[in-house]
Amino acid sequence: MNMHITFEKLWAFFRRDLAIARGYRSAFILEVCEALFGVATFYYLSRFVESPQLSSALPQGGNYFAFALIGFAFFDYLGVAFNAFDSSLEEARQNRTLEALLVTQTSLPVMLLGSVIYPFVLTSLRTVVYLGWGVLLFGFSVRSANWIGAILILLASILAFAGLGIFSTSYTLLFKRGNPAKWILLGLSGFLGGTMYPVSILPKYLQDVARLIPITYSLEGMRSALLAGAPFRLLWPSIIALLIFAAVLLPVSFLTFAWALRRTKITGTLTHI
Amino acid sequence: MQPVARLTLRALAGVSFSVEPGEAVALIGENGAGKSTLLRVLATLILPSRGQAEISGCDVVSDGAGARKQLGYYTSGNEGFYGRLTGRENLRLFATMNNLMRREALRRIDELAELLGMDEILDRQSRTYSTGMLQRLGLARSLLHAPAVLLLDEPTRSLDPVAAAEFRRFLKGDIVGRLGTTLLFASHTLGEVEEMASRVVLLAEGRILAFDTPRNLCAQTGAAHLQGALERLTGPHSSTERNR
Repeated sequence: MNMHITFEKLWAFFRRDLAIARGYRSAFILEVCEALFGVATFYYLSRFVESPQLSSALPQGGNYFAFALIGFAFFDYLGVAFNAFDSSLEEARQNRTLEALLVTQTSLPVMLLGSVIYPFVLTSLRTVVYLGWGVLLFGFSVRSANWIGAILILLASILAFAGLGIFSTSYTLLFKRGNPAKWILLGLSGFLGGTMYPVSILPKYLQDVARLIPITYSLEGMRSALLAGAPFRLLWPSIIALLIFAAVLLPVSFLTFAWALRRTKITGTLTHI
Repeated sequence: MQPVARLTLRALAGVSFSVEPGEAVALIGENGAGKSTLLRVLATLILPSRGQAEISGCDVVSDGAGARKQLGYYTSGNEGFYGRLTGRENLRLFATMNNLMRREALRRIDELAELLGMDEILDRQSRTYSTGMLQRLGLARSLLHAPAVLLLDEPTRSLDPVAAAEFRRFLKGDIVGRLGTTLLFASHTLGEVEEMASRVVLLAEGRILAFDTPRNLCAQTGAAHLQGALERLTGPHSSTERNR
């Protein structure tokens, strides 16, 4: 019964966001067009910088266009993990629904979880659009892709990223505005995670730091699965690393969040804007 | 560093009273007396640093979920709905959040729509509602799970006099009288308090100055009416509105 009602609640949040988004249909159409411009930019940039030496330096094979497209498309998930939890909390504060939700029989973690389903689904759609434009117009090949492997990498990545997102939302819960944790972690991930260039070109000490952030494993695994069609035995190290991140980050972030929630309930600032 | 700094402001201290099932009790006092804070503590939105508060036997700190099952909370002028969703979609969402399964939720929404005279408007986006409609929708939301206790913070604050009178009649006649819901409400309108409350909690600077029936408060202070009684209890410059 409890599990069933929790799923009903998560579904209700998704239905809410979908119903609200229906009012902004043109935004999605514009995003599809914007994605085309993004993919085209990467394509021509890659043609400009492409060389046999560059291709041979890419660890998972393929060309630079494919490398950068995957980096760009899947980095979005990390951005969503950081922004979706924060913005669902801020939106609920702004439109004054937070108080009304908090006096219901639904816990704040379920509310947050429910509120990020739609952004993650939307990001997945956006990723499909990015890759779709790449396949249709720019010769991005996914013929040899290991799709099940890619989905496993994606799910493990979302769990690990959600841990970071919930952790950073604790800051927003306490201090309302500005979130240094978000910007530091997003900045570090963009710089060290191998979004636009392989981690192997970084100095050795930065490569070691890159091993401490989940996006590195996520992009490595995703490129291996989609570009090289790597078998599961080659994907497991990335999947296991991401699951270890999730196993550590999720409990720590839930504990931090619970402490922040209790603290704001004591100070009476929970619903303050 | 407010969230991690030491707490310095004491909003409530030594407040102790109990409300009988099916009773309507009013919280009155000047702005900043602690009425809303008290309601928010009971609604589990604020955790008390000390002391104990219970809703139908559920401790609001150690059994917050149990307490929330028993209570409905409504603040006038702070309704908080999703404007792009219809009233029905909004109520459906909050019904699910209160553990009502689909069929039960739909039945309850229909019941409340009839009770509150909202049949006509329920399928319109809530952003098109007037203040009065939003208030009714807010009250409907707080009643979705048929709570034993209803906590209302200035329930008629943004209503015109006719709508406010109608709202009071509904609360007293249907919610308290017919459904037997316990009502604890904060108000600055003494006419409303006299009409609806069987007992009154008078708060000042987070402490209880008096807790009794309006009649007894008048008798104790020798005043002819509640306004006079409050003036004698709090001093002549109380900011409590005296719009009877």
